[in-house]
Amino acid sequence: MTIKQSGYYNALLHINLTTGKITKKGICAEDIKDYVGGRGLGMKLLWDHIKQPGINPLSEENPLIFLPGPFSGFPIPSVSRTCVVTKSPCTSPIQSNYPHASTVSYSNFGGFFGPEIKFAGYDGIFITGKSPTPVFIQINNDNVEIKDASNYWGMGTDKFDKIFIQDLSDRRYRTCYIGPAGENLVPYASIIHTASRAAGRGVGCVMGSKNLKAIAVKGSKLPDVADHNMLVKKMTGARNYFKGFSRGKILSNIFRKNGTAFLFEKKSKKGQMSVKNFQEGTFPQVDRINADAARNKLWVRNYSCYCCPLSCKKSGVIKQGKYKGLLVHDGPEYETGTMLGANLMISELEGIMKLIYDGDDYGLDIISAGNVIGFLMEAYEKGIIDKDDLGGIDLTWGNVEASIKMLEKICSKEGIGALASQGVKALSKKLESGSDFAMHVKGLEIAAHNVQANPEKGISYSTSNRGACHQNGETVKKQNSITLIDSLGICKFACTTPLGLSTKKLAGLLESITGIKRSADELLMVGERIFNLEKMFNYREGFGRQDDNLPERFFNDAFTIGTEKGAVLDRDEFDTVLLKYYQERGWDTKSSKPEKSKLAQLGLEFTYS
Amino acid sequence: MYRNKRHFNKERRHFIKKIAIGSSAILFSFGLPIFSISSSAEDGKPDQLASILIDFSKCTGCRTCEAICSSFNNLENIDESLMPGIGNPYHANIKVYNYNPDIDVPSVCSLCSDAPCIQACPISEDPVTNRKALFRDNKTNAIVSDPTRCIGCGNCQEACKNESSGIIRLNRATGMPEGICNLCGGDPQCVKHCPYGALRFEKQTINYSFDRMSPDEIAKQLTKQNYLI
Repeated sequence: MTIKQSGYYNALLHINLTTGKITKKGICAEDIKDYVGGRGLGMKLLWDHIKQPGINPLSEENPLIFLPGPFSGFPIPSVSRTCVVTKSPCTSPIQSNYPHASTVSYSNFGGFFGPEIKFAGYDGIFITGKSPTPVFIQINNDNVEIKDASNYWGMGTDKFDKIFIQDLSDRRYRTCYIGPAGENLVPYASIIHTASRAAGRGVGCVMGSKNLKAIAVKGSKLPDVADHNMLVKKMTGARNYFKGFSRGKILSNIFRKNGTAFLFEKKSKKGQMSVKNFQEGTFPQVDRINADAARNKLWVRNYSCYCCPLSCKKSGVIKQGKYKGLLVHDGPEYETGTMLGANLMISELEGIMKLIYDGDDYGLDIISAGNVIGFLMEAYEKGIIDKDDLGGIDLTWGNVEASIKMLEKICSKEGIGALASQGVKALSKKLESGSDFAMHVKGLEIAAHNVQANPEKGISYSTSNRGACHQNGETVKKQNSITLIDSLGICKFACTTPLGLSTKKLAGLLESITGIKRSADELLMVGERIFNLEKMFNYREGFGRQDDNLPERFFNDAFTIGTEKGAVLDRDEFDTVLLKYYQERGWDTKSSKPEKSKLAQLGLEFTYS
Repeated sequence: MYRNKRHFNKERRHFIKKIAIGSSAILFSFGLPIFSISSSAEDGKPDQLASILIDFSKCTGCRTCEAICSSFNNLENIDESLMPGIGNPYHANIKVYNYNPDIDVPSVCSLCSDAPCIQACPISEDPVTNRKALFRDNKTNAIVSDPTRCIGCGNCQEACKNESSGIIRLNRATGMPEGICNLCGGDPQCVKHCPYGALRFEKQTINYSFDRMSPDEIAKQLTKQNYLI
């Protein structure tokens, strides 16, 4: 019998798509306390379910877990995130005894899905098995059904988003789904929500492997909380934090005005942008793709996630040119705009937007897709591959039409697309050349933040537990904090230091929900515990010190333009910083394995066998 | 007496609606802000009541209004005193509907001056209070359901769906109407707490062309205007 924890239902919705069995199972109260929810609880559930290393991420055994956090559903600002946790189909270690060795993957998306899982009465949805035919899951409180999705199979996410909600005949359902890329098992396929918000980094491929097209959820509940009055007071306080003359207001104004697009100019100036497959950090044509340009040519309105005062999402329509009339569901954001823009030397804003639209419609992770196309462009320029290899595509730098065709080939796995869909690591291996400029860590493609002039980002990428991750954090403390935020269900943007909500404020909110008194430092320890459990999962699969590496390019190819001209990483310095990082983490400096004492301190003795 | 005792002139109402839509289209074609709501009372239709108006150019679909509405109107008994609820949006009287292309439509009682819901209520007027089971509150002008007299026939829901925005829903257990805005006693909290200033509580003016329209109809119109399709 599980002890009921305030603020939770202590209930996980288990769905086995092989047998069609649907059950509601309890969650251990200790796990709720130690891993809180979202990314953390997902990792613990994954650890408990996968008892052996090397299982195939696309097998029935690999669970696909959707998790709101303890904040989700309560009207706290920006508590919109849904975390998807699974074993990654994208990553692989340099050496391992297991054929399917890969890291954990966690990816979270904003919108309205996570809160709705909470409203439906669950702390998470745990999906295993594989349906023999395409299906979707419909959840209306306790009424859960697995239904035929054959008619939807092959449909792009934009069209599906429109049609599916009509077919459900109730707009109060919140849906997430995969596109053709996920169906075709492209490893870096995404799960999409509201036609644009995405959980990337491979989770869509796992959903595809289960023949699961979509999930629709709606509900009417909220769990009891420990201290009602305190929570109402603290929620009001948190909402007011973003009003009037406050730091929160400054933060929300930045996002309201430009979304993440405010970064284009800033990052390019500092030499921190991913340009020309990471060869440069500055994009000379940045003024053609920045926020001002997008506002003129594309944006119509701001769009928020659940209870969010930031509204960073920009929607609109391409107002002129070749792609006139094409919808802009979101963008360009900094990531999508850079990876399918500057990284490919494309400065035509409408072209970038068309690429982003296609990427979302296919349900592809745009970071990975942009990275892969950048690699192919460079390989083409260097003569490693020719036009015939590319199926007749003239994949030159800045070529929008060629990039559109490449995205299509990746999604359909046709011709060169079959190989390109496996990611840059697989591509460079197969081509037996190009590993110097295959921009990935542990097999996952690097994002739009370049490293040569921003060495700290190198630590973020190299030590991330899901492979190259720009949101991992550059220091131990930051990583623990971000891990915690990912586990609470709140958005990182609202917690940006120094303008956003502080860990102390988050601790107060969590305490009033759960009744468990914890200081900010104690909460950061929760983040540390989760990060270490992820690390132990990866270590068990065979990932070690050698895998916490960066591509050669960062050490060899200095920038040739911009204010940071000449910038390049120093190998020895990187090794020293990484060594210090391990020491601070309490990990063995040779193997990178967390020390026994560290694991014991965090209550992770069960991982040590 | 009752503020709702007004002459229902359907032709006139439709005529006004047409002008409203037409004028919006003209304004739009000249690139003027079509969503602006004039605050000048003189512009208001003389028999209009103040209601919650939505500035669609500001709404971002965050649904804070839902949570606030639910919290204020579903008090909970905590330690023997009534406190604001947590804010479960399911119980909100204002509901935000999301569309693709990205349009968000907060939908709330239009406080129709002719109140088709009250007209449809089959319960006879109480000789003392002159009230049907559905009546207009003297003080706030909000429409109120009397659970002691309501028979759960659902006529009000039908009338609202056919002649106005369709915000009335029936409670599954009792069959009684729900979702009717009570204006929080005259000081609508959603208006007060909208993070984007997208809600206003005032008399409608000629510029407000979305009166009594269903979310689907509003979304259709806004999609055309916003996305040129």
